[in-house]
Formats: sequence, C-alpha cells, structure tokens
Amino acid sequence: MQLRILIVDDSPAMRSFIRRVLDLSGLTISECLEASDGREALELLEGTWVDAILTDINMPRMDGEELVRRLAEHDVFRLIPVLVVSTDRTETRMQRLLTLGAKGYVTKPFAPETLREVIENSLGVTHGVE
Amino acid sequence: MESNEVQAALASAVEEVVETMCFASVIASSEAASDDDVSKSGVSAELRFEGDPSGGFRLDVESAAARVLGAAFLGREEHEVTDAQQGEVVCELANMICGSVLSRLERATTFHITHPCLVPKGATTAYVGTEVRRCFDLGEGVMTTCFRIQQGT
Repeated sequence: MQLRILIVDDSPAMRSFIRRVLDLSGLTISECLEASDGREALELLEGTWVDAILTDINMPRMDGEELVRRLAEHDVFRLIPVLVVSTDRTETRMQRLLTLGAKGYVTKPFAPETLREVIENSLGVTHGVE
Repeated sequence: MESNEVQAALASAVEEVVETMCFASVIASSEAASDDDVSKSGVSAELRFEGDPSGGFRLDVESAAARVLGAAFLGREEHEVTDAQQGEVVCELANMICGSVLSRLERATTFHITHPCLVPKGATTAYVGTEVRRCFDLGEGVMTTCFRIQQGT
C-alpha cells in the first residue's frame, strides 16, 4: 500500500524534515503534499485525497486544533487519520487534541521509527519495509 | 524552581533535540554560560512562553555550527543551505528545546509558546526575572541557551 501524506506546518524547515523522516521510516510513500496552515490544508483537501495528515498545532490563520475540529466535523474528511506533531508534551494538550478527533500525537523531537509506528497505528495496518 | 533543575533540563533537552533532529552530538559545559559566551556573529532565535511559569527562551548558535546543524536537519550539503534556512532551523531547534525543557519541568501544565523569531546579530534582550544559561560544544561551534523565568510566576 502506497501512502499519500499531507504535512501541515508553517515552517518550511520542519516540513522538509518530516519529508526526510518519512523517507527514512520505511513506509511506502507515493506522495507528500504540503500546506503551511490549516486553511491551506482544507483548501488542498477539496481537490485531492490523502491517506493521513500530519499537522503542527501552532500555526497562523488556522491552527492545528481548529484544523482537527473542522476535519472531525466534515462528512468525508473525518475518515482521514490526523496525527498531531508538536513540541507540546503536556497531558492536557494531548488529551484535548485526541478528544477533538486526532488519531495520534507525536512529540518533537522524534525518530523515524516513532513516526512510522504512529502512522501505522492510525491506519490500523503494518507496511512492509522497502 | 531551582536553577540546578533548569540546568539539568536544558542539558537533557539540548542533547535529545540535537541528537534526534540533527544526528549530532553535543557536550554540555560544566558551568553556566556568561554574556561573553554568546556569539556576536551567529544565528539567534528567541520566543516567549505563557503558563505556570511564564518566561522566554533564547538560543544562540555560532555561524559554523548553525551551518552544520542546518545541513543535518534538512538533509542537505552545507553549501546548499541558505542563511534563511539556517535561521528557520535555529528557530525550530529553539522551539523544540524550549518545549522539551518545559515538559521536563512542568508536565501537567499547558503552555502557550509563541512563534520563535530571529534576533538581529549581536542584539541582546533586556529581561526582568531569573535567567539560567548553559552552553554546549557542538564541535564546529558553540550553542548557548538562555531560559528565562518571569518574576512572580
């Protein structure tokens, strides 16, 4: 199974890092799409399908919490697993995002295998290492 | 909050972030950094956090070290990394180190961390409150961290 992943982060450096980590993770990625905030992510999703979304929390225009909330309310987009990637490790923040509808939470810094595990858990599958 | 506690959290956070995100190793100095340790020719970023406690965090990275970290973070050759990209990486590192320090000090509290922003070269930031500094040797240069806790929080 080849995955299409959407990375939502306002930092080009972090988007680039996540792409590299996905490459190293052993997951079979067919395409990585990028958005710099929640609003841009929603606009992008109107025209394409992705298998999973990795989103930061702290972003301009529309932050990660609002993005997770909007996706959970949408008839179709709620089917896409959303994983939060954040520096915030506090239990209250994690619980709030998971309650809103996020399927996983990865704290920065993270290793490739951690990201792989969280993505696989959210999809309920195990992908072969290339 | 004890200074020693913050010093230990800074050391653990920097080691974790640099090793995981840049695949590099750091050596923490045994003593706290002073004003003289802060490079005037490197890349600096700072941010604020609000919660219990509130305060700020500043990261200064010497030029050569910033170039190496930028290349490692982005998975590129050093000559391919622009000054702007070095700045983005130092901002991201500041964000992650600060978040990691806060979670080590107060795991049960939610913090709001502002976007890190670059500090003009050589600029210093006046601050009222407690400052805890620590510097780290990256081989190619020094990284200096400054964790600030607002008075009364």
